[in-house]
Amino acid sequence: MHSYISNLLILIPALPLLAAAVVAVFGKRVLREQSHWPVVLALAGSCAASVLLVFAVQRAQQDGPHEHLVKLWTWATVDAPVLSTQYSVPSTPTSDGEAESKAPADTPAFRMDIVLRADSLTAIMLAMVTFVSTLVAIYAKGYMHGDSGYWRFFAYVALFVFSMTMLVSVSNFVLLYVFWEAVGLCSYLLIGFWFEKPAASAAGLKAFLVTRVGDFGFALGVFLLWTTFGTLDFHDSKVQTIPGTHGRAATSVVYLAPQEINDENISGTVQHGIFGDWRLAQKSPYGDIPDATILAVCLLLFMGACGKSAQFPLHVWLPDAMEGPTPVSALIHAATMVTAGVYLVARCTPLFAAAPDARETVATIGCFTALFAALIALTQTDLKRILAYSTVSQLGYMFLALGTGSQPGVTAGMFHLFTHAFFKALLFLGAGSVMHAMGGVIDIRQFGGLRRKMPITHWTFLFGCLALSGIFPFAGFWSKDAILAAVAEKAAAVHTSSIYEYLYYGGTFAAFLTAFYTFRAYFLTFQGEERIPKEAGHHAHESPPAMTGPLVILAIGALAVGAYFQWTGDFLNPNGFLMQTPVLTALKAPGAEGAEHGSLHLTVALISTAVALAGIGLAWLFYLARPDLAESVTKSAKSLGLYGLSHGKFFIDEIYAALIVRPLEAFAGLLAWADRHLIDTLVNLVGAFPRALGAMLRPLQGGLVQFYALVMALGVLALVGALLW
Amino acid sequence: MSPEQVLHDQLAALQSFLAVGAVLFGVGLIGFLSRRNMIVMFLSAEMMLQGVSLSLVAWGRYRHDLGGQMLVIFIIAVAACEAAIALALVLMLFERKGNLDIAKWQELRESNQPPFEEEWQPPEDKEEPPQWPHLPPAGVLPESVSQKEFYRRKV
Repeated sequence: MHSYISNLLILIPALPLLAAAVVAVFGKRVLREQSHWPVVLALAGSCAASVLLVFAVQRAQQDGPHEHLVKLWTWATVDAPVLSTQYSVPSTPTSDGEAESKAPADTPAFRMDIVLRADSLTAIMLAMVTFVSTLVAIYAKGYMHGDSGYWRFFAYVALFVFSMTMLVSVSNFVLLYVFWEAVGLCSYLLIGFWFEKPAASAAGLKAFLVTRVGDFGFALGVFLLWTTFGTLDFHDSKVQTIPGTHGRAATSVVYLAPQEINDENISGTVQHGIFGDWRLAQKSPYGDIPDATILAVCLLLFMGACGKSAQFPLHVWLPDAMEGPTPVSALIHAATMVTAGVYLVARCTPLFAAAPDARETVATIGCFTALFAALIALTQTDLKRILAYSTVSQLGYMFLALGTGSQPGVTAGMFHLFTHAFFKALLFLGAGSVMHAMGGVIDIRQFGGLRRKMPITHWTFLFGCLALSGIFPFAGFWSKDAILAAVAEKAAAVHTSSIYEYLYYGGTFAAFLTAFYTFRAYFLTFQGEERIPKEAGHHAHESPPAMTGPLVILAIGALAVGAYFQWTGDFLNPNGFLMQTPVLTALKAPGAEGAEHGSLHLTVALISTAVALAGIGLAWLFYLARPDLAESVTKSAKSLGLYGLSHGKFFIDEIYAALIVRPLEAFAGLLAWADRHLIDTLVNLVGAFPRALGAMLRPLQGGLVQFYALVMALGVLALVGALLW
Repeated sequence: MSPEQVLHDQLAALQSFLAVGAVLFGVGLIGFLSRRNMIVMFLSAEMMLQGVSLSLVAWGRYRHDLGGQMLVIFIIAVAACEAAIALALVLMLFERKGNLDIAKWQELRESNQPPFEEEWQPPEDKEEPPQWPHLPPAGVLPESVSQKEFYRRKV
């Protein structure tokens, strides 16, 4: 059983990596237009393995929460004496014998094993990532057809899926960081896929640099974790050192399984991982750590999550990332990579549970981003950008849910992540289908009434819109309702100075805005009179089956996954599949108990449905029934400056340019000037001195024999004179 | 003769020998530095050598030590060989440039240094084209065409 899970766990990232290598090596010359085959097959294989993994993990959880660990190899080891002279391996303030046991002399001070883990959270993420990426790869076969970089695209996608599957399955913060950066790299490569286009390469650069700001915080968080815990592993491990004989280096054996760690016959020291069984079994897992440290760790990690998941101060890269090919927007910038931040916060739930202030920050920023991005999306005219802001907004919802820190909240956040992947990928792929048919035009003012030309795209897009707006019984309804219910419950549970009450109203209002802008895009694109831009040419017809097939499958998902998992309770039920994740068990602590979990909150559901229907109705009124009304509203909003504020994305880019980019550019210009004129002059002077000396002495070497003889004679005279004198 | 007298005479002889040696050396040095004819320079160098040899012999005699004289015989033998080689070299150099002037050989200077140039140049003897007496034309010109053919056939 264990080796079965291990094999699946290794197979899932290995297949895409293999496909990436094959396509990278043979794609350009051999595979060419067939480059999608290795990738599609590998991703389908990974997807099948992920589904099997989900069932295997479920079987392994017969008796309580369970995680399965596979050690591949040891990546790095630094011996204790080396490190201990430089750093004092931290001891906790309690320091009553327990501190010493953390870094005993015979274990390496720093060791990093490549360990993969399988628990419910990872299994769900793996299944979601590989499923969406398989569909997107099939779709991309049609979408990218005839592109000069066809093989390159599929190599990048396979590399991305490898990185993403590793990101969610590693069991160590450093490796998490490594793959965190790896998905960022793939994102950069794919945003700038059409690098001849200046806007695309600039967008790639922007995405990379803005996420780096967050990653800097993440790195600091990892450093702080290391100095606080002395390990960066999630799991517990027991290290047995076998002394070397006759010149052989000592080797160490690592035991990961709980029964091995508790085996008295194995001598060795136990290292307690950050989310290891030992810590989670304590009453307060981080009782030995100062609260301020935990808070700082949480905020720094959340900074990384903000960068990757495009939350408020660092959201600016995601809308620009739409310069990449649409399948990439669907896969990386809607369904998978941007949810890495959500995954990180969910994975660190025990840490966030210990820091209420950090939780409130997460919830506040999430709710603010949800509202803020929804307000921007109201007036955008680029179909993909509307969806991008919608993604930012929905990610805000997920953080709002995680920020409640309660069991219904965290599970609702993960549930929304899961359903969102389906309908947002569907919407992006639908937008790509429209873009494909319209000859690259994506401005919703340029086309309209496409429902007859593109029936499949129309119906699937409508499903996606309904799911995003949260209309019963589509997927978004269940997950969004779960989030709002969790926030409302939290607001009711925390009586004193509850910020969550405002967050609930904010979330509900964002739901209204979501429905409005989603259906604004839908009505302008598919309803009304038929308008087709001249760029479309003869392309204005339904997309090929390779593109519509994934759309249909995702539309079924957008319709069904919410209701199905609501029915099974795998996500929301306190004893469901997701709650079997060890890191989430902390939420079941007695303090976090609320009313009945996972059930449908009728009031909340009615309110959110009502506001969603109101949003749709308003969009219908403005853009189909009474366009003159929309114009007059727009005009009055313009006169107030509100329209410009939303259309200009609240001028965040301009503010950053004025406050950060320009001053830094000026500073860099100053430094460049100083380098060129001050430093270089100094260096040139050092070189010029011997040169000048040489120039002074050079005339002596004139080539005249008699001059040499004269100098020699004078030299002898001087020598004799010196001797005599 | 008192021993003091003997000592004084010997010292006086030594001084005379050394003075002659120094004069020989000095004349040779000045010659080497001031003359540009390679053979003369070689002769001057030989003269410096003889001056040194002379002082060696003088010292040897003064100290009753035959080492000095022995060394001088060696020097003379070596100088003979050296003279043969040096004259052969001078001959080769002369063949290259057609001139014995040492200043013609300054290629070993620094690459970016200007060559030494004579400030004073000897006046070139200008060869005036000879003025022939101008005679008035006489006789009849042959026909040009036939003349051309004639020349061509001849060639």
